[in-house]
Amino acid sequence: MCAMVYARDMEVVQQLKPEPMTPRETAAQDKIDDVEYDIFVHKMNMVAQEGKETTMKLGASSGMRWGDVAFGIYTAQGDLAVVATGIWFHAVLGQLPVKYIVKHYVNDSSVGVKEGDSFFFNDPFYGGVHPADMGLCVPVFHEGELICFVGAVVHSGENGGTDPGGICPSARTKYDEGLISPPIKVGENYTLREDILNMFAAMNRDARTMILDIKARLAACRIAQRRILEFVGQKGPDLVVGGLRRILSVTADAARHKVSQLNDGVFRQPRFMDNVGMTEGLLKINLTLVKKGDTIKLVFDDTTPMLPDKPLNSFFQGIIGMAMVYFCGWFLHDLPANNALLAPIEWDFPEDCLLNAKGEAPTSMAPFPQTLFANAMFMAGARMTYHMDPSRAQASWYQGFGVPLFGGINQWGEPVADITPEINATGAGARNDQDGVSGAGAFFATMSDCSDVETTEADRPFLYLFRNYFKNSYGHGKYRGGAGVGFGLKMHHVPGAAMGCFGFGSRFPATLGIFGGYAVPPVFLSTVRQSNMGALLSSSDAGLPNNLDQIYGEGNPEQGQREFHHITLPIQLFMYGETFYVPVGGGAGYGDVLERDPQAALDDLAEGRASGWVVTNVYKVVYDPGTLRLDEKATKDLREKALAERLQGAKPFDEFVEEWSKLKPSDDVLHSYVTYPHPSVGIKQGPLMPSL
Amino acid sequence: MGMTVNIDIGGTFTDFYATEGEGKGLITKSPTTHYDLSVGFMKGIKSLARGYGRSMDEFLGGTDAVRYSTTLGTNALIERNGPKLGLITTAGHEDAIFLGRGRSWADGGDSQGNKDLARINKAVPLISRNMVVGVRERMDSFGNPVCPLQREDILEALQELVDKGAMGFVVCLLWSFANPAHERMVKQVIEDEYPEDYLGSLPVFLSSDVSPKSGEYTRFITTIVNAYIHGVMADELTKLGNELRDGGYQRPLMLVHNTGGMKKVSRTRAVLTHNAGPVAGLHGALTLGRHYGHQNIIFTDMGGTSFDIGVVSGGRLQTYDFIPVIDRWRTNIPAIEVKSIGAGGGSIAWVNELLGNSLEVGPQSAGSMPGPACYDLGGAEPTVTDADLVLGYLNPENYLGGEMLLDEDLSKEAIKSRVADPLGIDVVEAARRIRAVVDARMGQAVFNEVALKGHDPREFVLFACGGAGATHACGFAPYLQVDKVVVSGHSPVFGAYGASTVNIQQVWDKSHTMKIFHYAEQCYSQDFDAFNSVVEELKELATADLRLEGYSPEQIGFRLELDMRYGMQYNLTKIISPHMSVSGPDDYQAICDHFTEEYSAIYTPEATFPMGGINVECFYLTAFVQTEYLQLQPQQEQGDAPPEAARRESRQAYWPSLGGFKQTQVFDFDLLQPGNRIQGPALIEAPETTYVLEPGWNFVKDGFGSGVLRLTGAPEQG
Repeated sequence: MCAMVYARDMEVVQQLKPEPMTPRETAAQDKIDDVEYDIFVHKMNMVAQEGKETTMKLGASSGMRWGDVAFGIYTAQGDLAVVATGIWFHAVLGQLPVKYIVKHYVNDSSVGVKEGDSFFFNDPFYGGVHPADMGLCVPVFHEGELICFVGAVVHSGENGGTDPGGICPSARTKYDEGLISPPIKVGENYTLREDILNMFAAMNRDARTMILDIKARLAACRIAQRRILEFVGQKGPDLVVGGLRRILSVTADAARHKVSQLNDGVFRQPRFMDNVGMTEGLLKINLTLVKKGDTIKLVFDDTTPMLPDKPLNSFFQGIIGMAMVYFCGWFLHDLPANNALLAPIEWDFPEDCLLNAKGEAPTSMAPFPQTLFANAMFMAGARMTYHMDPSRAQASWYQGFGVPLFGGINQWGEPVADITPEINATGAGARNDQDGVSGAGAFFATMSDCSDVETTEADRPFLYLFRNYFKNSYGHGKYRGGAGVGFGLKMHHVPGAAMGCFGFGSRFPATLGIFGGYAVPPVFLSTVRQSNMGALLSSSDAGLPNNLDQIYGEGNPEQGQREFHHITLPIQLFMYGETFYVPVGGGAGYGDVLERDPQAALDDLAEGRASGWVVTNVYKVVYDPGTLRLDEKATKDLREKALAERLQGAKPFDEFVEEWSKLKPSDDVLHSYVTYPHPSVGIKQGPLMPSL
Repeated sequence: MGMTVNIDIGGTFTDFYATEGEGKGLITKSPTTHYDLSVGFMKGIKSLARGYGRSMDEFLGGTDAVRYSTTLGTNALIERNGPKLGLITTAGHEDAIFLGRGRSWADGGDSQGNKDLARINKAVPLISRNMVVGVRERMDSFGNPVCPLQREDILEALQELVDKGAMGFVVCLLWSFANPAHERMVKQVIEDEYPEDYLGSLPVFLSSDVSPKSGEYTRFITTIVNAYIHGVMADELTKLGNELRDGGYQRPLMLVHNTGGMKKVSRTRAVLTHNAGPVAGLHGALTLGRHYGHQNIIFTDMGGTSFDIGVVSGGRLQTYDFIPVIDRWRTNIPAIEVKSIGAGGGSIAWVNELLGNSLEVGPQSAGSMPGPACYDLGGAEPTVTDADLVLGYLNPENYLGGEMLLDEDLSKEAIKSRVADPLGIDVVEAARRIRAVVDARMGQAVFNEVALKGHDPREFVLFACGGAGATHACGFAPYLQVDKVVVSGHSPVFGAYGASTVNIQQVWDKSHTMKIFHYAEQCYSQDFDAFNSVVEELKELATADLRLEGYSPEQIGFRLELDMRYGMQYNLTKIISPHMSVSGPDDYQAICDHFTEEYSAIYTPEATFPMGGINVECFYLTAFVQTEYLQLQPQQEQGDAPPEAARRESRQAYWPSLGGFKQTQVFDFDLLQPGNRIQGPALIEAPETTYVLEPGWNFVKDGFGSGVLRLTGAPEQG
């Protein structure tokens, strides 16, 4: 037994890679027939798929409703062997709470792990992301032997923090972030404990949704448990115990093999973020990938240090989880998703680092640095893998969020607190041979869904004025990113409700392009207090704005107190009729804009995706504004002129560095950055340039 | 009962099944003529007429009903030969169908392809962006108008679309299912501007008519798909109807629906014909099951490229498709679910070197062209059929009744080079593994499909249909632990047989949110009119429709189903309502109790949460008219022992549980008598299929002409 110390377990979170094979697992290996193993793998995947579908069917939160779900089968040691999800960070993070349970509770007489138990968890220290991600797992016993666990992790949203909806921009410590529970037993003898549920309900603005989500996870776990035990009844426990272990071994070997096929090299990508929670400011993440042999090491020297009183910190394990999003979807997409994919991955996080949260530091906005890191990972990863498969060296999907939070009473008189689902409609990055997909989803939750407007409006206190692709929403390039979505909300049905928003990329682009492609343009939030929108609607005013372009443009008849905000807006009360306009960005660009097919640029103009200004000034396309007919000769000439101008602007590298080094943001945006340009200079001296 | 002719179009063959009176049905097949489906259609009917020894005039003149499961609509979608349509929608929401709830790129895709995120793409839209025009209007979630619709705005939108060449209009406005006034106003304006008696008349489709259900993406897409295939189907079916009339047929052509019913062509929405063939097959299983007294049936159909799975439970088809995707379009049609997975005789076996040389089968298929290597049509990939041939199960000289010769050497070479050598095993062991893997995948997929619907497969009877069903039933049935497997004598044309059994039936559905148990007050609703008025509205629609089919209200039966949920769950659980109308809280309580009971059975009692509030979200009223169908009369059993004449040669076949190849008796299915029993191992050759009777299995040819398989020994797989 490992004694409880009533503090976070720094050791268990280091166990991201598969545990050593136990004697029990080793002995079982010899009993596994190759064909039976293949059949077993398929069966376990079916069980996980059924678990995921069941969880989605029964859950109630936005995340649950739209597929932000992972369902896994874990070894008895807690390694995640099989998972059904589109949220790949759970493929490596879902294991930590289970390993915690194995380590602390299996032999603890006051808790214990018995058949019929169920455990809940949402402490991001173990889940890796933020408290809004909640999970539940159950042990599976066969004739008294613990043979595996099954569990579901879902973003439930509301968890009783200082701000509704599960994200707390105003949090100063983790104690502001609502319910944060390390693994806790919530059910025994196949029955949920009402006292525990009652406690959870008391800590939550939307108790009903939280309870429904817990029950959904549990139902899925029980069904999966039943399936596995039926299988064990037919085949015996050895195939399950040994087979789950073999899945991990096979995956680890395959991942190492694939990594070994990459060229050795060092790939660097710094990234900057313009958000420090409730205030603006500049932060830096400095990623270096060191690929050597069959390993890839992630190094983060020269990254902004931890912010003790801002919720922008991430636990290091969350960053590893986000690395898996890239690996699972773009590089190792043809391998099973489980924590053995980490076999070839090494990491080195500085002690004092934004990405290595400790102590009481709040983390509810951890997805920000995590997605910022992901942008760096996409960019460095594209360069690292291009030689092997250029078709998968893709520019980043949008990383900057842009997610309204809300809380209050809905039109049915019921409490609600959640987020809107348009984060699941960002644009995908451009590719080496085609544009990115418009409104593709969230890169970290690709199987999730942005809902229908009608479904969202059915029990939410607002009305969508519009929801469509907005103009110039993506990064330009030879191939452009997929378009992003802009939407307008009018408070409706209710006297008022609390509204806020979170995201980054209002001052500094959230998502950069690759190989010369442009970044996704910065985005901002706008609101109108005491709006006349209701009157405009009821009179069917001919000037009613139907997209963000018209909201921002001249001639917009909406009147009231118009305000423009950073995309992160602290929660505040919005009254009936007031409006709220949100852009969710598109994907990043790929390649030189001057190489884009001029007709493709004009097609974007015709469809309202791009403005005439962009077509003329970015893509250097000459056309008839009336007919949109291309003038090929004039376009060719204009592009040649633009290329010549670029060459004229060229200068020797040393000269460029000298000029560039004089540039420095103003001090009022560097308050959390530490030392510019190298944060690490102000923290400690260390190697800035890892070598092979 | 007079003559009925039932037709099911497949990718390779069009199947025909004719019945007359109490006589035995007549089966025929005709190659599907993709360039013009009516050619193969009429050819098959001629063949049936010959079979009955009648002229076409005599045959069709005496036919009471021609029932048709058509793929015309699906083909139109795949070939993209529908008309140029214009979409009129709520201003500000013009991109709804392109946005596709974000993840529409995954609809209709396979799981592995959907994981390859750098290469995803959304389907090319059926209506291009420049053919979408918004009009200023808005209803809110209660159906209250927030922004009125102006006639001038409609006229402007129409003019723009007409100028761009629209040949039809689709009108899809937000919340129109709750209040269709604005959509109807658009239609009225179109009809005023382009009256039907003018050449410029253009068809108009309203989403509130085609699909009055919540969720704009699926409602809009359902309406668009319907409009897109409507014209093509109407043209083709009119042509076919004319040919039938010219041939002497005097009744309306009936179309089988994916809702498990059928209607006249003139009373059919095009979108309801998608996947009607497999649904007809499932209905055939339901009907045949009634002859046996089976209430719970797992229906499977294993063909060349796909493996279809459907469920009959409690003697009913009550499992609707959770996400009905047509081609790559997510719809909300109330279709009976028949799921298809990529496993069949043509599924390709391959070795996944990256994953430690694991053996994979499918989802890629060699299809029918080039087909398995043994077809000698240029296919070099080893398939399930190749494995079956190498293992001695298939007769290379009697495949498809001798119509196709198989080359075993080509099978061996393909398996050797692509599977055996990479794995370091011999060809026979490789073939055994291919078969074991595909059987497991099918068995596990069936298990999941049944289990996901809350059923225990062990309580079901398995129907194994399709050309390869009998060949693999003993392989995949053990994964379900079913007690009995039935291979119908109609199995090779089971979709056509199923069409002969469907009733006049249609499902009328409507979304309407009703909180029948309130979360905030913890009490049952007192609003009974809201419930009853929706049911009455649907009843009136159904009755009016069936009157036009020629049926009186007394002939019409109804069944009410409800989509329900706890609290803010998004996904819904469907129940059969214990009441057609409600008159007090007790009735609501009975509905709630039934919902919780069903929910508990499917998802475990721990998952129920009545105190979270209970909603009805959608009403489904099934209106049906019972029609006659051929009542099969069992033939008298002739004794256990097969006649000598039924014994063909014996040949070497591989039986894993017996350790290798054994000389195995081969039987001729057609020469077996009712009651004859055969103990496995054995092979039974029918014209369109081969039964592979593994050791431990017992076969009986029953009085209905079906092969009934039971496991009498220990199962080999689990």
